[in-house]
Amino acid sequence: MTTLTLSMRDRLKRYAAREGFGLFALIFLIIFIVLPILTVLLWGFAIRWRFPAVIPTEWGFDFWQETLSRADLRRAFPNSIVLSISVTLLSMVICLPASYAFARMNFRGKQFFLLSFLFTNAFPRLGLYVAIAIIFFRLGLVGTFAGVVIVQLLNTLLLMIWIPTAAFQGVERSLEEAALDVGASRLRVFMQITLPLVFPAVFAAVLLTFVNTFYETYGALLIGAPNVLTIPVIMFPLINNQPIPQYGAILSLVLFAPSVVLLLFANRLLRGGYLTAGFGV
Amino acid sequence: MVARSTRSLLPYILITPPIILVFGLIFFPAAQSFVRTLTGVDGSFSFERYLEFMNDRSSVTSLIFTFQVTFLSLIGLFAICYPLALYLRFSNSRVAYWAQMVALLPLFVPGIMSAYALIRFFRGRGLLETIIYQLSPVLSETYYSPYVKPEGIIIGSIWESIPFTVLVLLAGLRQVESGLIESAQDVGASRWTIFFQIILPLTRRAALIAFCLNFIAIFGSYTIPYLLGPAAPQTLGVLMQRTYQEYAQPLQAETQAVITFAVCALVGLLYVRTVSSQRTGRN
Amino acid sequence: MRTSKFVLRLALLGVVVMLALGISVVSAQEPSIINLYSSGDTNITDWLQNIIIPAFEAEYPQYKVQFTNSRAAGDEPIIDRAMAALQTDDDPQVEVMDIDPRGFGASVEAGLWYEPTVEEIPNLANVIEAAQVTPLAASYRGSQVLIAYNSEVVAEEDVPTTFAELIEWIKANPGQFVYCRPDRGGSGGNFVRRAVYEVSGMDPAVWTPEFNQELVDEFYPQAMALLQEIHPFIYDDGAYPAGNNPVLELFASGEVSMISAWSDQAIQGIDRGFLPETTKLLQFTDLPMPGGYTMLAIPKNAANLKGAQDFVNWFLSPEAQALVVEVIGGFPAIAWDQLTPELQERFNSVITDNVPTWPGGDYNPPLTELWYETVATNIDPNS
Repeated sequence: MTTLTLSMRDRLKRYAAREGFGLFALIFLIIFIVLPILTVLLWGFAIRWRFPAVIPTEWGFDFWQETLSRADLRRAFPNSIVLSISVTLLSMVICLPASYAFARMNFRGKQFFLLSFLFTNAFPRLGLYVAIAIIFFRLGLVGTFAGVVIVQLLNTLLLMIWIPTAAFQGVERSLEEAALDVGASRLRVFMQITLPLVFPAVFAAVLLTFVNTFYETYGALLIGAPNVLTIPVIMFPLINNQPIPQYGAILSLVLFAPSVVLLLFANRLLRGGYLTAGFGV
Repeated sequence: MVARSTRSLLPYILITPPIILVFGLIFFPAAQSFVRTLTGVDGSFSFERYLEFMNDRSSVTSLIFTFQVTFLSLIGLFAICYPLALYLRFSNSRVAYWAQMVALLPLFVPGIMSAYALIRFFRGRGLLETIIYQLSPVLSETYYSPYVKPEGIIIGSIWESIPFTVLVLLAGLRQVESGLIESAQDVGASRWTIFFQIILPLTRRAALIAFCLNFIAIFGSYTIPYLLGPAAPQTLGVLMQRTYQEYAQPLQAETQAVITFAVCALVGLLYVRTVSSQRTGRN
Repeated sequence: MRTSKFVLRLALLGVVVMLALGISVVSAQEPSIINLYSSGDTNITDWLQNIIIPAFEAEYPQYKVQFTNSRAAGDEPIIDRAMAALQTDDDPQVEVMDIDPRGFGASVEAGLWYEPTVEEIPNLANVIEAAQVTPLAASYRGSQVLIAYNSEVVAEEDVPTTFAELIEWIKANPGQFVYCRPDRGGSGGNFVRRAVYEVSGMDPAVWTPEFNQELVDEFYPQAMALLQEIHPFIYDDGAYPAGNNPVLELFASGEVSMISAWSDQAIQGIDRGFLPETTKLLQFTDLPMPGGYTMLAIPKNAANLKGAQDFVNWFLSPEAQALVVEVIGGFPAIAWDQLTPELQERFNSVITDNVPTWPGGDYNPPLTELWYETVATNIDPNS
């Protein structure tokens, strides 16, 4: 009996020595990252929550009904979904061939063009969108679905080009050449060898692009208003400019839920290092 | 061969759609606003906008403050992420799995929600202070709320940047071959020697990449500094918005935008050099 | 070679999809649509969407009001958009904006705004003189800023009744008072303006609508000095939140026990229970804090100018003005005696005629700027 306890204690000790830092890190991350998110969750179901109560003293769903039945959100929801899907698909269509070119072909100015996408994220947005709106007026794109699609496409380029470029670069040429040697057509080689190999990276890029597009606010407002309004445009004031914390909490939770599902998917993909490969690591 | 000319054109055809978007909708308007900021009142070429910026106390304070906040955020970020990535690299336990899962969480949280969550958690009488109060009311009296303070921006920036930084550093560490470390252990190298002589130099590249990309993201950010940061000093992102909206001085706001861009572009060049120099080295 | 063909086909498909998307969603702007923009606080935007617009559409079925909350980016970019459309003769896709045009100097200079006239908007004749602040827009509601305090924490005998007493109270109770950044919410802005009145002899008549640089030079630094006096005693050693609502939240959580707040938001907060039941409101007896009129502005290139005029005209009718008083606790822009006697009776206590109106316009940017440069940073304005 004693020997057993001893060995267990011993094992525990060894475990703590090995995983001590891990446990410490996990606890820190839970406090720093999970608890703030948990605060939102608690507010979502709170009717009354005042200091110094650690959890709400009165619980309920009263605010859910009120928030979710908002007409403006209901109207914006299909817009947001259709937009995010269109932008993501279109981004794949224009970016994947380009990333194939960046990865597999040699041409002048390749480095320069590839890097130009980095700088899309370095210029302050708000002023830029006003300038784009001015261009779009001439083209009749302000307040149209197509206008918002184009402006949101801009934000997807970096991820959708860099990550697949790295993935295409990572595919061993010898594999493809061997298949060609035994008489497979180029298309077949692409579909059956290249595509499966780059698929995880492309999928990671698509996932992140979809999430980012869904949450994009400024472009949607400054180009889409007044005809095309999206969920984040309506959410922004409700979350940050509302004395009743519950509204913001509920909206955050509703929008965060699909992301959590994606996270479960993405964890494996992100562990694979596809995202980071795209940034040159 | 006929194919030759099409082949040399093909890559350009393939990259044309995204390149048109970038040049037409980002570089072109950005260049236009750059030219406007270099035009004096009389319409001739002039640096007066930039001189004005440099002679304006609050603009300069804001520029310095933005640098400070960015650097402090980056220091905090590395202090958290480097040890974490090191641990995640060499452990396959369940703890490591969950630690990575949690560390990636902010990647899927939109900016407005993270600001909302952090305010309710960290501000005075928020959840954190409440928990401390329940443990020890005396201790909670010393609670320092980072809300509406520079610390608020730093905490928020770190919070948002943890996932990407961990991923980049982890990817860098994965390139350190286990065999290399094992053979070093075999010849009797201590843990510290292994760390300083092998791991650190080999992850320099990943660290530089994480530094550059996070710098660009934090330096130009708006939502977090606006909602969590102080009324004064403000970061360039917030000042720009105020100059544009409240003072209705679009040209000054553009000058601030160009300066922000210039700083980010410089860091971007550092990134470019890091990536390209090592890439050619590897191939 | 085959690969390149394949990729080319892919690219072609992309172009087709792009075109299809562009064609399928051509948004035809019906002449009956009125585009209304507001970046106000949520109590106002919700009221516009849920009460005002349905009531208007019920009376004018030929119109459909399309509402945009532009808070996420602010009013300025939408106005810039409208100015760009003015230059190129395009439809600005804006009919009515819930803004004071004088705050957007470039748009005034560009002549963006339609000047409402009694011929086209007959109910403009109902608007009281105090609400006629600019020819560029039509005032449609007024509100005032009050002091809200928690009577559980603040003893009745300590409650200040004048601005000077409030200053003393703030100094005696460090960390218990807060107001928001003046440009981020009127509850903070009007507190700062009240400080300006305090140092300029408490005579709002001094501040005439025509901008006077001398007044600014003389009184703004004095007002800043007064606000700097209380700066160390403000919540968390001088932390100013970024809006009306963050201030209300600090008050609701008990972090502070006295704040500067909009009357309508505070009353709604008590009614709905997110402010403590022990919340009480007070207005200074010497000179109230300034309030202001909120207005509807119409860009003159609005595609549906007639609709915009009809909307504003309806808004100034006694029935619509009753909704201002009843639903959000604001002041009507028309005379009280045009409202029903029951309503006048019910809101007897809020009917005041001595709430000063700050002239706004060009007076605001230098005040905000000086506040940020001196009070927020706590730097001596004369250094």
